[in-house]
Amino acid sequence: MPPVLQLRGITKRFPGVLANDHIDLELEEGQVLALLGENGAGKSTLMNILYGLYHPDEGEIYIRGEKVSIHGPSDAIRLGIGMVHQHFMLVPVLTVTENVMLGMESIRNGMVLDRTKASKRIREISDQYGLEVDPEATVEDLPVGIQQRVEIIKLLYRNADILILDEPTAVLTPQEVTGLIRVVRSLVAQGKSVVFISHKLKEVLELSDRIVVLRRGRSVGSTTPEESDERSLASMMVGRDVILEVPKGPAHPGDVVLDVQDLVVKGDQEKVAVSGISFQVRGGEIVGAAGVQGNGQTELVEAITGLRPVESGRVMIGGHDVTNASPRAITEFGTAHVPEDRQRDGLVLSYSVAHNVILNTYYVPPFARGPLMQETAVARQADQLIAQFDVRTPSPQTPVANLSGGNQQKVIVARELSRPVQLTLASQPTRGLDVGSIEYIHAQLVKKRDEGAAVLVVSAELDEVMALADRILVMYEGRIMGTLDATEATRERLGLLMAGVATA
Amino acid sequence: MDRKTAAESNVKAPERALGDEADRVRGRLPRGRRRTRGRLRSLVIPFLAIVTALIIGALVIVFTDETVYAAFGDGVGRGVARASSVITRAYGAFFSGALGNPVRIITALFSGQGTQIRRAIYPLTETIRISTPYIFAGLAVALGFQGGLFNIGAEGQYFVAGLVTVFVGYAVTGLPGIIHLPLALLAGAVGGGIWGAIPGLLKAKTGAHEVINTIMMNYIAFRLAEFMLDANGPMARGDGRPVSPEIQPSAYLPQFFPNQIEIRVNTGFLLALAVAVLVWWLLYKTTLGYEIRTVGANPRAARYAGMSVARTVVITMALSGALAGLSASTDILGVLHFMPNAFSSGYGFDAIALALLGKSHPFGVVLASLLFGALRAGAQNMQGIAQVPVDLTSIVQGLIIVFIAAPEIIRKLYRLRQPVASDELVTVRGWGGA
Amino acid sequence: MRKRVSIGLVAILLASLVLNACGGGAASGYKVGMVTDMGGVDDKSFNASGWKGIEDAIKELGIEGSYLESQQQTDYATNITQYVNQGTNLIITVGYMLADDTANFAKANPDINFAIVDFAYDPPIDNVRALTFATDQASFLAGYAAAAATKTGKVACFGGINIPSVSIFMVGYEAGVKYYNAQHGTDVQVLGWSTAANNGVFVGNFESTDDGRRTGEEFLAEGADVIMAVAGPVGQGTAEAVQVAGNAWFIGVDQDWTLTAPKYTDVILTSVLKNIDVAVFDTIKLASAKDFAGFGGESYVGTLANDGVGLADVADGAIPSEIVDELEDVRKGIIDGTIDSGWETYLSGL
Repeated sequence: MPPVLQLRGITKRFPGVLANDHIDLELEEGQVLALLGENGAGKSTLMNILYGLYHPDEGEIYIRGEKVSIHGPSDAIRLGIGMVHQHFMLVPVLTVTENVMLGMESIRNGMVLDRTKASKRIREISDQYGLEVDPEATVEDLPVGIQQRVEIIKLLYRNADILILDEPTAVLTPQEVTGLIRVVRSLVAQGKSVVFISHKLKEVLELSDRIVVLRRGRSVGSTTPEESDERSLASMMVGRDVILEVPKGPAHPGDVVLDVQDLVVKGDQEKVAVSGISFQVRGGEIVGAAGVQGNGQTELVEAITGLRPVESGRVMIGGHDVTNASPRAITEFGTAHVPEDRQRDGLVLSYSVAHNVILNTYYVPPFARGPLMQETAVARQADQLIAQFDVRTPSPQTPVANLSGGNQQKVIVARELSRPVQLTLASQPTRGLDVGSIEYIHAQLVKKRDEGAAVLVVSAELDEVMALADRILVMYEGRIMGTLDATEATRERLGLLMAGVATA
Repeated sequence: MDRKTAAESNVKAPERALGDEADRVRGRLPRGRRRTRGRLRSLVIPFLAIVTALIIGALVIVFTDETVYAAFGDGVGRGVARASSVITRAYGAFFSGALGNPVRIITALFSGQGTQIRRAIYPLTETIRISTPYIFAGLAVALGFQGGLFNIGAEGQYFVAGLVTVFVGYAVTGLPGIIHLPLALLAGAVGGGIWGAIPGLLKAKTGAHEVINTIMMNYIAFRLAEFMLDANGPMARGDGRPVSPEIQPSAYLPQFFPNQIEIRVNTGFLLALAVAVLVWWLLYKTTLGYEIRTVGANPRAARYAGMSVARTVVITMALSGALAGLSASTDILGVLHFMPNAFSSGYGFDAIALALLGKSHPFGVVLASLLFGALRAGAQNMQGIAQVPVDLTSIVQGLIIVFIAAPEIIRKLYRLRQPVASDELVTVRGWGGA
Repeated sequence: MRKRVSIGLVAILLASLVLNACGGGAASGYKVGMVTDMGGVDDKSFNASGWKGIEDAIKELGIEGSYLESQQQTDYATNITQYVNQGTNLIITVGYMLADDTANFAKANPDINFAIVDFAYDPPIDNVRALTFATDQASFLAGYAAAAATKTGKVACFGGINIPSVSIFMVGYEAGVKYYNAQHGTDVQVLGWSTAANNGVFVGNFESTDDGRRTGEEFLAEGADVIMAVAGPVGQGTAEAVQVAGNAWFIGVDQDWTLTAPKYTDVILTSVLKNIDVAVFDTIKLASAKDFAGFGGESYVGTLANDGVGLADVADGAIPSEIVDELEDVRKGIIDGTIDSGWETYLSGL
């Protein structure tokens, strides 16, 4: 029997860049194929070709042994190919059924939408694959993990049997990842075939039957989980040996730099998001704040940096009371802040790299003299930081919108960590980044610690917190459930605290 | 391998890995050439938009001309001939009304006769005169766009500035021109600036959307002008008409042809060009401009970077209002020398079109304003010579804006390539972005 | 196909660039040009009426006539300049808004004659004929008819902007109603204008039919059943409101509204005619005559006597036939000066 899907010599050129260079790929029925590669390796381009969004310059696509040409998503769907994008394509105010029906409404009596029929079918699909989705629920009320399953149902409803999942775990909590893995297993057990795009080595090893690694548009190897391990995959991906552990010496905590007392902060819906937190971070140590997202970490960091009003309590930095001070005043006290959402808060996407690296120092010499910008000094600073922080950009004048996520984050890290600071706050500093970038950013944070700064890292990734932090505090529903020394923290203990189960 | 060397070799490697996905990255021409080519490419759509609008305008002329229908009744050949002669006549008048007749200009120059020369270059002077208030109003809206603000209130700011300017112009007497004129200009800028700053302040303090508030401020301004300039109002001339007194000659903007009442082009145009350069300098060379653009592009990032979004919003709206105000001031001090009750017909609204057409860049706005000035000057001539209603300009202007706002139409029509994402100008954030 | 069509059009465009159409109009004959105000030539009001006078003159006197529309205050001078450059003999400007520009160009071009509608210079300018209208005489008759037609005892009027050429209608209207009261011992009230208080209702523009409708609805709600609108096209909204309400009358001004807005005929009581066409025609006839020696600052005042103003036929059955006869008597009384139509008295009382 021929493979369900076969790609031969797929090549795609963009002006100046070879995005896909003669890539071959085979997917057998009932298999999970992992497509592994750093950001910019060409994974998404390849899948967009398969989905008909791009047309390849060279190469052929075969479905069940038959040569096909795909001119758009509708062709792809007709051929049984479905794709779940990183960003869901759901209408939040509609129900699951309505979302699934969108674009292929089944109609009764010529006029009326046949919701009942569609709803029944969705329930069947949900039961068949153990998706546990209520067809009548409104999408905006559903957690992200379930929304993702709605996307999967959309594909199954359209009879797709080749499912492409683009970075499906990037938005999920650890528990939701477990759930997704179960769903994928159930799909392949019943004859569906899955392409799983990721750069997370653990998941790839856990889930896939075969692994294809892409690097700079080329397929650099095909392997199986049995034949490989994290280290070998990582070096295939990056093209060199990778240090998976964060190399760091013991911490030498000094004076208290950040002192938070009984802090109460409200969230966006006027709900108390941080309810009476107290903790300290000393110079020369990294404190990690772990927790499932949405348990007050965002609000905590925003309150410390002056972006969100403090309801009560006190924030001290280096002995100065900065409660409800302006963001600029707090920055000028020597605070660096790597924000959680780099595109929303940390960058002006239409600006050049150069104009982004001076985003919060544009008004001081040498970047400004009086009211005048000093472009020469700005350019010099940009050149220096691009070299020092290894930002891959065609030029300092390139808009950051044109950079990869990893390089965008490096622009922020370069800006924040190049300043002499006593406190560094980093929220989800490596979210969505590739191995190489993660490694680099971790090293920079450790370096900052070793220079004597106090570092607070907020991350939803347990591995990251455990690897980086000297002390770990776990947040749950706006409170600190417990503080552990890095040496005594285990996944299990942290997991329980994150779930709000026990006080350690 | 030593990590550091690896990193360095990566930096120097000719094929650097770029872009989230490679498709984001475009050509690798040398920077200078790439920039020129980018600029040229960004002119393609506006150019084609104008050409297409003129073509449709020609069709409108033909389809509304009864003689064309009559000629078609005599046969297709006659009809086509008649249609093309109608268009030729109309657009001939249009272009000679906008730019002058080159043959006539050259002959006049050789003849050396003042009257002939003046009549030959008159169309050009009209284009320039009409474009002067457009430049200011366009800059006003463009500056707002740069700061992420949609100033629909240019019209109201124009009215208020007109009132203040004309008051200073007629009520202040005995000053030398060197003081009176700048004072009157300044008064207009301040009046418009305050009128613009109020919605800015409301937005900064309460989050009220500037679109709503600038519209409301327009109505207040219109009624204010109506009251002040009512035939019996406080600023009426007193001859039973709803117009202000004439301003003192000391407040006149100097004319290029002082003794020719028909040629009204004046130094207001030079002022407009100078202000355009000033706005460009402000936006791209000063920290304030950087703040304005940052707040416009990403207010959250601006706040994160320690900028005061509220303060920037107020300053942007005040500057925008001041620019809109100057368009009224130059019209009054340079052309009308008084203010009538029914003052402007839509400069403030045309300004939105100008800012869009000029891609919110000061120099783009100048070009767009010259175009609109030419369109209006040409239309006035076309009306006189070819009996084509002046409303045709509104149609052509409207079409240009539609094509600029929806470039997909032009791209489909002329089978152009999709642009790079960052080529597209994002003018304003959506509704409700407080 | 599409491509070929656009190429063809581009070619025509380019041709039009090269071939330059030079000045329009034939070489001979007496040339008259009219510059409209911002209302445009089809305003169904005084621009349209002025243009009708020129059309009549083209037919009957064989002159050449054309018009130029203005969209902005600054267009007036542009348009006058065009006519000056075309060698026009008589330039007619419509409306007081053109007064300053007309005066400037008239002084700079003493060999060209001008006429301006609705404005008189003080002192007069030699080569400008001011065309003004004693519309109070005609609206006095309208007020008389309105007072006879009302069943509620309340009649109304409103204006566009408070300027003399508008308020003169309202002054005459009120005077006519009062005269009717005096003659018939009734107490019909006038809403929207009071000469004694020197104030009335003005919508503030000459464009918004919405304002016209709203104002009409307000008057109807206050019990008026005859409404006169002195606001150009704004009146269309009022007529609409009256038509919707039924049981009420509308009075138009400037032209005969049963001709210019026939869809409202069933509610049009009458129209106060301001025969700008008559004045324009008269002026062209005067100025184009062979022995014309210049206006010499003389002005034209349209009256009931010279048909410069008048009242259109009153709707059949709206008023008793004896009132129709009385209207004729009142008309004669105004012409011979025994009845005061109000405007002069109003002005002297200011």
